[in-house]
Amino acid sequence: MAHTDTARTTPSEPVSRPSSSPQGSAPGGPLARVRGAVGRMDRRFLPILGTLVTLVLMLVIGQARYSTDSTNFISMRLFSNLLVDNSYLLVLAIGMTFVILTGGIDLSVGAVVALVGLVIAQLLIAGAPLPLVLVVGVLVGTLCGLVIGILVQVFDIQPFIASLAVMFLARGLANVVSVQSLGITDEGFATIAGWGLQFGEGSGLWRINSSMLIALVMLAIAFYLLHYTRFGRTVYGLGAGDDGSAVKLMGLNGPRTRVLVYVISGTCAGIAGVLFAFYTRSGFNLTGIGMELDAIAAVVIGGTLLAGGVGFVLGTGAGVLVYGLIQVLIAREGLDSWWTRVFIGVVLLVFVVLQRVISVRRRS
Amino acid sequence: MTASTGRSTAPRTSVLRDIAHHGLFWPVVALVVLILACGLRSPGFLDIEMRDGHLFGQLVDIARNSATPLLLALGMCLVIATGGIDLSVGAVMAISLAVALEFIDSAADGGTLGTALMALLLGLGVALVVGTFNGFLVTVLGIQPFIATLILMIAGRGIAMLITQGQITTVTSDPFKSIGSGFILGIPTPVVIAVGVFVLLSVVVRRTALGMFLESIGINGEASRLSGVKARSTTWIVYVIAGGLAGLAGIVYGAPTMAADANNIGLMREMDAIMVVVLGGTKLSGGRFYLGGVVVGALILSTIERAVIIFHLPSETTPLFKAIVLIAVTVAASPRLRESMQRRRVRADLTSRAKVAA
Repeated sequence: MAHTDTARTTPSEPVSRPSSSPQGSAPGGPLARVRGAVGRMDRRFLPILGTLVTLVLMLVIGQARYSTDSTNFISMRLFSNLLVDNSYLLVLAIGMTFVILTGGIDLSVGAVVALVGLVIAQLLIAGAPLPLVLVVGVLVGTLCGLVIGILVQVFDIQPFIASLAVMFLARGLANVVSVQSLGITDEGFATIAGWGLQFGEGSGLWRINSSMLIALVMLAIAFYLLHYTRFGRTVYGLGAGDDGSAVKLMGLNGPRTRVLVYVISGTCAGIAGVLFAFYTRSGFNLTGIGMELDAIAAVVIGGTLLAGGVGFVLGTGAGVLVYGLIQVLIAREGLDSWWTRVFIGVVLLVFVVLQRVISVRRRS
Repeated sequence: MTASTGRSTAPRTSVLRDIAHHGLFWPVVALVVLILACGLRSPGFLDIEMRDGHLFGQLVDIARNSATPLLLALGMCLVIATGGIDLSVGAVMAISLAVALEFIDSAADGGTLGTALMALLLGLGVALVVGTFNGFLVTVLGIQPFIATLILMIAGRGIAMLITQGQITTVTSDPFKSIGSGFILGIPTPVVIAVGVFVLLSVVVRRTALGMFLESIGINGEASRLSGVKARSTTWIVYVIAGGLAGLAGIVYGAPTMAADANNIGLMREMDAIMVVVLGGTKLSGGRFYLGGVVVGALILSTIERAVIIFHLPSETTPLFKAIVLIAVTVAASPRLRESMQRRRVRADLTSRAKVAA
């Protein structure tokens, strides 16, 4: 596909120079200068620039419409709430970024979140010790990811189908565990879920809670793994669309990495399941329907190309913030909740069209 | 091919092997096993009888329930043949049903045949528009099909909610209801519609060059364009067809209940449709496609759903069995597995020959 070809030429910076530098030095207004600056920038950062512009635009709209004399819309409180409400989505999207960078997809994560929540709730009701329960919960996710990885790598089944099968599997197992919402009343669990540090006072009050910290630590780990390790380079290499031959020629372990990205995504889904249980204090078999699509949309809005090989996990973080901000703006605007989905669709549309325009411009 | 050395035995086994290697072999095996298992468990399962001039029986129910996934999957199969995917079909079902029922609700004479026909046409029209939009994104803007159709998968349900203003629109219109629950010549209407669409598509795709064009686009779009295939318009049409069929599926599925529940009509049906296409032996990577396989896949899907009831299992466990059948069929048909089996067979062949020589 032409789309992926243009994306793949991004790292070869020198190629861009001849075409873009005359444009930059050409006499003209500030617009040309901006265009020149964008042209000079490493082109890998272009999609993420779009994400940041979207984010800033939404913040400015929010600031202009919802600020009062006493409180600003843009505040620590806003960001703290965004992270508290979307920590599970951030963790899911981080795992999804690894998979999408290799050119794969993981549709199972929403169902895994439901399964993990129910397993945790059921084990706690049965009286199992809390640390064990949390570890088992995360490992359930890891196991689901491992199954996908094996189906994809060993049996050569397309990631879409392999993860679809595991999605059905996890949803079915969740239904077997319980078809009713199971409340979690364990004291230790409530302590961890409710832990937090508070800052500020009155309407400026904001806090740091446990799920937010876990999500941010995951983001830091993912950033390190992707940009400073051999494993990270292999992940990007697998997304080159050459069936891993370049990775193989470089002596990197492609097959192991391909399994590992699904294990990572599954583990992230397991952790997200725990965080979601923190958030709702319960397990329910119908949670997480379509959550995988939210995660995929956040990753795409974060500037990662679905074809693989191009993208940044920090962009995914920005994508999740955009996602959360849409919900905040819709709620502040007093619109019905289904407008959220329409707006997310519109933002997604604008974003992919922009990405497309940028990549066409780059080719010409 | 190294496999040919293993084929040097009697011609009869080679015919058997050809059958076993046919794309539809494992899906048909899965379907037959499922139906036999149900038949053994519940002796009356295979009976079909005429009652009041209508066909009745478990198999008829399975055929009726297959209609919706079949309609969705036929369109999906054509899209997948071009190397694309359409994730929006479930949301399109909700939109077209919402439009059709809102029209009947607002019409002065909701019960007449004319109103029902108009509602049907409106529902289909909206679905075609959505399909055209998907096709535009994919072909003109060149956006990856997954993302292009993901947009409407996410937004579509919101749009359906806007149409019904967040309510579950319920109406009464006997002519409209009969689209989903009536009979034509004793056969359930949904079955007649689905079979009609299947026959029509098969003829159009296989009696003209369209099918070959689709496959060539799926294998290499650029090469087909250079060799004179109108890749853009052909791909576009396929998304329009998929959208229209999704709309039809939504109406057929929702007509018996006469309630447009925008949140739940067609929820996750796109995944079922993709599963049906894959069960039918069509690869997601595009190229070769099997419309006949789609029929088998749709029958497998609704037989699984029926089997869960017959075996007195809780209906919530259905996804579990879908997963098992999907994994079993795809792993059995996996080229990697087949290769390693062949290698083992060739190796055994060689060692036995070596023994004879020694």
